[in-house]
Amino acid sequence: MKKYNHPLSFGSLLLAACLVCSSCDKGFEEMNTNPDASPSVTPGYMFTKAQYDGASDLLVLLMGTMQYTTSYNDVAGFGSKYVTSQNTQAYGLFTTAYPKEINEIGEVIRAVEDDPTKVNLLSAARVWRVYCFSRLTDMYGDIPYSEAALGYVNSIYKPKYDAQESIYADMLKELDEAGSSFDASKPNFGNADLLYNGDVTKWKKFTYSLMLRLAMRMTKVSTANAEQWAKKAIAAGVIRDDADVADINYLNTGQVINQNPLSYNLLNSDYIRADGVSNTEGGKYQESFITFLKTNNDPRLPVLSIVYVNGSPDTTVAVQKGMPATFSAKPADFVTYSEPNPKTILKLDAPLSVLTNVETSFLLAEASLKGWYTTETASDLYSNGIRAAMRQWALFGAGGVIPNAKIEKYVSDHALNTAGTEDEQMEQIYTQFWVGVFPNAVEVFSTYRRVGYPALIPNNYAGNATGGQIFRRMLYPNTEQNLNAQNYNDALTRQGKDDFMTRMWWDTE
Amino acid sequence: MNRFDYTSFLKRWLMVLVLLSAPVLRGLGQYYASAGNALRSAQASAGSNPTTESTVSLKDALHDLKKRFHLRFAYREGLLDGKTVSATWLHQEQAPEVILEKMLASCMLGYKQINKKQFSIFSTATADRTTGNAATSETSTETLAATETAAQEQAVAAAISGTVTSQDDGMALPGVNVIIKGTTTGTTTDSDGHFSLNAPDDGAVLVFSFIGFQTTEVPFSAGQTVVDVVLPVEMTSLSEVVVTALGIEKERSALAYSVTEVKGDEFTQARENNVANALTGKVAGVNATGLSTGPGGSSRIVIRGNGSLTGANQPLYVVNGMPIDNTTPGGSATTNGGAGNVDRGDGIGGINPDDIESISVLKGGTAAALYGSRAANGVIVITTKKGRAQRGIGVEYNGTFTTEKVSVYPDWQYDYGQGDNGVKPMTLADAVTTGRRSFGSKIDGTDFVAVDGLTHPYNAQRDNVKNFYQTGTSLTNTLAFTGGSDVLNYRISMSDLNSRSILPNSTYNRKTANVSINSKLGDRITVDATLQYNLEKAHNRPTAGDALGNPNWTPYMMANTADIRWIKPGYDANGNEIAWNDAPIASNAYFVANKFQEDDIKNRFIGQASVSYKILKSLSLKGVVSRDFYNYNYNYIVPSGTLYVPNGQLNNYKTDVAETNGMLTLNYNTQINDFSIAAFVGGNQRRYDYKQLNIAGSNFTIPYFYSTTNLATQSTTPLTQRTGINSIFGSADFGYKDMAFITVTGRQDWFSTLSPKNNTIFYPSIGGSFVLSEALSMPNTIDFAKVRASWAQVGGATPDPYAINLTYSMVPSSGQPLQNVTMDPTTQTNIITNPNLKPLTSTTYEAGFELQFFRNRLGLDVTYYDRKTTDDIVKTAITPTSGYNSVILNVGELSNKGIEVLLTGSPVKNGNFTWNVSYNVAYNKNKVVRLADGLDQIQMASSVNGWAYINNIVGQPFGTIVGTRTQTDANGNVVFNKTSGLPVATGLQNLGQGVPPLTMGLTNEFRYKNFSLNILIDGKYGNKIFSLMEVYATRLGKMKSTLPGRENGLDVSGVDQEGNPYSRTVPVSGLRVYYDNYKIYSDKFIHDGSFVKLRQIIFSYNIPVKNLKVLKLQSASISFVARNLLTLYKSTDNFDPEQGYTNSSAQGFESFGLPRTRSYGMNLMLKF
Repeated sequence: MKKYNHPLSFGSLLLAACLVCSSCDKGFEEMNTNPDASPSVTPGYMFTKAQYDGASDLLVLLMGTMQYTTSYNDVAGFGSKYVTSQNTQAYGLFTTAYPKEINEIGEVIRAVEDDPTKVNLLSAARVWRVYCFSRLTDMYGDIPYSEAALGYVNSIYKPKYDAQESIYADMLKELDEAGSSFDASKPNFGNADLLYNGDVTKWKKFTYSLMLRLAMRMTKVSTANAEQWAKKAIAAGVIRDDADVADINYLNTGQVINQNPLSYNLLNSDYIRADGVSNTEGGKYQESFITFLKTNNDPRLPVLSIVYVNGSPDTTVAVQKGMPATFSAKPADFVTYSEPNPKTILKLDAPLSVLTNVETSFLLAEASLKGWYTTETASDLYSNGIRAAMRQWALFGAGGVIPNAKIEKYVSDHALNTAGTEDEQMEQIYTQFWVGVFPNAVEVFSTYRRVGYPALIPNNYAGNATGGQIFRRMLYPNTEQNLNAQNYNDALTRQGKDDFMTRMWWDTE
Repeated sequence: MNRFDYTSFLKRWLMVLVLLSAPVLRGLGQYYASAGNALRSAQASAGSNPTTESTVSLKDALHDLKKRFHLRFAYREGLLDGKTVSATWLHQEQAPEVILEKMLASCMLGYKQINKKQFSIFSTATADRTTGNAATSETSTETLAATETAAQEQAVAAAISGTVTSQDDGMALPGVNVIIKGTTTGTTTDSDGHFSLNAPDDGAVLVFSFIGFQTTEVPFSAGQTVVDVVLPVEMTSLSEVVVTALGIEKERSALAYSVTEVKGDEFTQARENNVANALTGKVAGVNATGLSTGPGGSSRIVIRGNGSLTGANQPLYVVNGMPIDNTTPGGSATTNGGAGNVDRGDGIGGINPDDIESISVLKGGTAAALYGSRAANGVIVITTKKGRAQRGIGVEYNGTFTTEKVSVYPDWQYDYGQGDNGVKPMTLADAVTTGRRSFGSKIDGTDFVAVDGLTHPYNAQRDNVKNFYQTGTSLTNTLAFTGGSDVLNYRISMSDLNSRSILPNSTYNRKTANVSINSKLGDRITVDATLQYNLEKAHNRPTAGDALGNPNWTPYMMANTADIRWIKPGYDANGNEIAWNDAPIASNAYFVANKFQEDDIKNRFIGQASVSYKILKSLSLKGVVSRDFYNYNYNYIVPSGTLYVPNGQLNNYKTDVAETNGMLTLNYNTQINDFSIAAFVGGNQRRYDYKQLNIAGSNFTIPYFYSTTNLATQSTTPLTQRTGINSIFGSADFGYKDMAFITVTGRQDWFSTLSPKNNTIFYPSIGGSFVLSEALSMPNTIDFAKVRASWAQVGGATPDPYAINLTYSMVPSSGQPLQNVTMDPTTQTNIITNPNLKPLTSTTYEAGFELQFFRNRLGLDVTYYDRKTTDDIVKTAITPTSGYNSVILNVGELSNKGIEVLLTGSPVKNGNFTWNVSYNVAYNKNKVVRLADGLDQIQMASSVNGWAYINNIVGQPFGTIVGTRTQTDANGNVVFNKTSGLPVATGLQNLGQGVPPLTMGLTNEFRYKNFSLNILIDGKYGNKIFSLMEVYATRLGKMKSTLPGRENGLDVSGVDQEGNPYSRTVPVSGLRVYYDNYKIYSDKFIHDGSFVKLRQIIFSYNIPVKNLKVLKLQSASISFVARNLLTLYKSTDNFDPEQGYTNSSAQGFESFGLPRTRSYGMNLMLKF
């Protein structure tokens, strides 16, 4: 009889096991807590990261497109030949900006926006967000904006692309609101702010300088809008003094993120061997840039450029020579071409300019030509732009200091031809802009598309992808076709083919 | 009669279960039989017996009887060795008892019928001194043998005698082993069940043991002279068993699901370094793929299709009932990585094939339900060899030497040579610029200047692949010792594997020490322990994927008139890389082989211990603890002077990984009349710890000095991952006679990786089998028929911890502190965590039948299954514009339906010659049924530069390759972009599935006397593969498809994007750019990945050791083996279809892995 109890006892054992295990997940929550991570954000640390990331998102190939540099190679990375392999290079900015600075700045904004005492933190973050977004839209046109980087908070995994026009409208609104919200009596980011150590007055100038930049971007497409916003920015006060320029200082040792991203890139992709011969990617200064500097007796030439003579960098003007962008094989005299000066432009602790009085001066000169700004003459503004451009190299160390006399000589030799047509003056202004904001090729690329200057002669390299024309935009990463196809296709319907020669909203014919 | 009948005898006879499995699975046992044949034949030919009679080994004869009459035989290990019987008995139409008696009598053996189906065989010859220490291939639960030395006998004091009878029927039991406990003194009962022996006069304990009966101890006191014993029948049934979940051995006919067992010696002869690779083609429904990553590389095994959208999809590996870790340190190689994108080897690769007794593949959910969530993809159960009680120490040596050579060469064009624009290089600079371009002039033997700066004739160089790779070798030596007594058995093995890759300067070494101990402490307690220590060292594992730092790139992509040896040794006098082409990231292969330093060392310790306590006759408690621990140190140095990073880089990982499991089970077994019940309840606690420290840096301050102390920039990143699963489970098997069986299981899991509100799931299973041939009378042709069906669920969770909450991590900084959202540790990109994650469920229905026909000459085993995964936990790539690169979600439904067929046959079977055939085929239909709302596809992987993707798309099979095509208009005209003059690419389209739906294997085994020949052919059909190598080969002018237009330019025509006719001539000078652009049309590089291969040939000879008595050999065999001998069918011209290089779920890309090889080898096995 007893035998038949066994199945029952089995069942009761199972029941007992279940009861014993009523707390079967004890300790699991603690186990599932990452010991190496913090549960909450520290806005200052995240903001610093967003600044580094935003500043380092450079599209270095544009240095080639804007004819500062070139390579005999047609491997990707040099934009001087407009070859198809450049399309993948152009993806980089798009794919890195969103998960990095755009997402980071969103985290900062969400962390501080509900606390009125943190209005300066919020405003600085909003302005930096505009800066980062403006760089993106100026490269690609329509981009995810209003729904961007909301993957975590709003579960938006496929953000729609906004029209560039509406992005500009919102960016200007953001700058307007943030600019008027800064309050010197409230706390700021302090040292976590790489641009100004939290200085609210300087942040306001940066805000309005950025507003001026964006306003002027619209001159071709919406003159009235451009004028209205430009005037607003000028009235509120833009960066005019060297002390107010927005740049980020770097270290020459330590983590890569603390080093000047442009110098790091140039060195590691090309010039690290420092012998003028074994350049990794075959890069040199381009002929048009060096020839321009040389022809105009530009005192910046030895600051920027060297030639390796007997293995040593030589800044002698006479030996400087740019390389034509048409080469397809390494020339025998490769060593004789100019390349970036290791004592200035290649220094890992060189400052990186975000927005300077060089740029504002030339923008103001254009505004003056247009009659939107009358306090100063276009001619003075133009000359001041050149002066600021020459002075800024002093920030790169002793090798960058240009004596005042040389600056003034150059300024007087290159005065604005106020007797010329507006177009002729525009050419002078934006040719000096090209030399003046070097190496900020991204900004030059935008003004070039807007005003057509400097008058670069495009390179018609065999088999190029643009029919021998300079790009009008960069391509969206092809991962977008796979991961966000509907919104991507909507953008193409609105903007045109995803092509190097498709013009974006502000870049009308 | 107080003398011994046997100078050698067994202290205790325990069960040896005759595993008369499919012929192909038959192991070394055959060798003994054949050895006997050879002996007899040799005698015959010597003229001692002029009438040669056809004989078969006794084992084979019993096997035949077993199959014909469904009998089971038990016998002492080694008892049948070398015995042969007349082949004529095989075909006699007589009662099995009659045949059995005749056969056994001729061998001086007898039998005892234990029940209707079971027989116990014993020796009737008093002179038979067959000792038990001969190892056999049979599954031996335990076997004891005693030493025979007379000197060890105790002082003879008194004679004791008695009779042994069966409790069952009261009959006398002959052949019962009788021993004085704690001594080696003993005897066996005679045909009347009588025994007598000398015993100490002060009393002792007699131990009676006999197969099929419970071992019984009877104490006797001083002066006692008669001990009569009644032995109770052992409940454990004797039958063919397989190892199933939790290491439980089950009778095959009771299984409600499909299990396939593969014997250990299948892996030891034609060996692969990674034992999992040797499963290729052997088991229906198991898709096993070795990777193109050299010795020490990983395997990829998928059972019954990919069941998870983004999970690993590999089975759980279980050794002796406990799970082991199968992770790849640092993660799988990525599909698009560059330098250091290496396959660092998986966990299963650390198991020494020589230690494996058998491998069971559990495909069904019912089997898996008891291992929990990780078994959703099937379980591979490995049973390692155990010690045996025996006389003296058994020594076994196994040595294997194999050599391998590249077997697949690309079929490039050799019409136009190195150069550009139709011009060959005439200067060193031109030679470097065009180092990887074959767009030069017509190859004509005239002079040109090559990349070494010297003038060479402009001739085709077809052997760069052959010249770059060397002959790979692999030498394995394994020495094993076995031994034991009635209380303790042990096996100790030591193994050393030394591989030299075909890649110069790349080596792999694996040392394994394995100790297995099992012990019976008294009547109630059994202790088992297995300890394994591995030391694995790899040097310069080959990179796959992108060009940088990938030594496989140069031999394929070097221009076709350049000899790769011209760029030897790859570095100059200072040790700096010498450029051979215009792109620094296309590294010099010799420089990579000679100067890159990649070393890894894995110290691994696997320990298992179990204690089993018998509470009652039918109730026992078992506790098991196991820990698989390894520490791994990986150091990767990109040296100073590397062209793409002149100041070098360093990447170092130190990883500690531990998988710990503790399990307690209460087992209950009983038999009530015709009903049997086997049940257990238990609990398991699993803990997984992964601790990693990554030191990465760049720029060696002092060149050529490679230390972390010498890095200008470095960062240290810790990674700590801890997960746990707690489980309770229960199982009950009910059996009625040998006819009907039902198994019910249930398991509840708690997962640490899910949020507390959603962290648990209960999942049940039920299965049944019915042996028709037992229940009904069958036609004569059918010997055995069984149907089975089961339904099972398995729940699961994400294996990754910290997936439910967003956190923030500090970023190494030399200035202001920096913070970022915590990234996915494997991809180092942002991931969206998900607090709502809940367990996933995988549900499998399975039904099948087994049939044996024509006296078991033909067998058929068919299984249909339907597996559905719902609420899968998916880590999927999302657009970076979301701010994140991936998200973890519970989504969708994935369906796998398939059919598996195993056909076995013995077309020829006579005394000297047998031919066995085994054919398995499996078809798996996989479909992504549903993803999340608004989500119709997810991206699993992308190739270098995004030239193709692997997606999971609703309505499509798992792992669809996605890419572009050349755009055409409605009339088939190519659409051109007028501005660029290049064809327009379409948007992304489906290009085919990356996983083959159809797999098959065909084994033919021939045996003639002492020779055997085993031939395995396997094939896979229906998948596509995207070749990155062909993308580059097209861009660089090596593909034959780039020949048009070389002489006079290429005329292209079609329409422009407005639909107007378009045509132009691409000049010779523009050809390279034109063909370069082909990279944006993915479909040009898609191939059918189907193949049929002659996978393996093993030719063995059993050395007749009886002629070599002086060596004291028990047995010896020598085998010649060849693997991957021949590709019988493929449709790829330039690479092997099995050219995968990552063991992740993203399959379908080929990208400069190590080329596939053909290997030849020799295996020597000696037993002393």
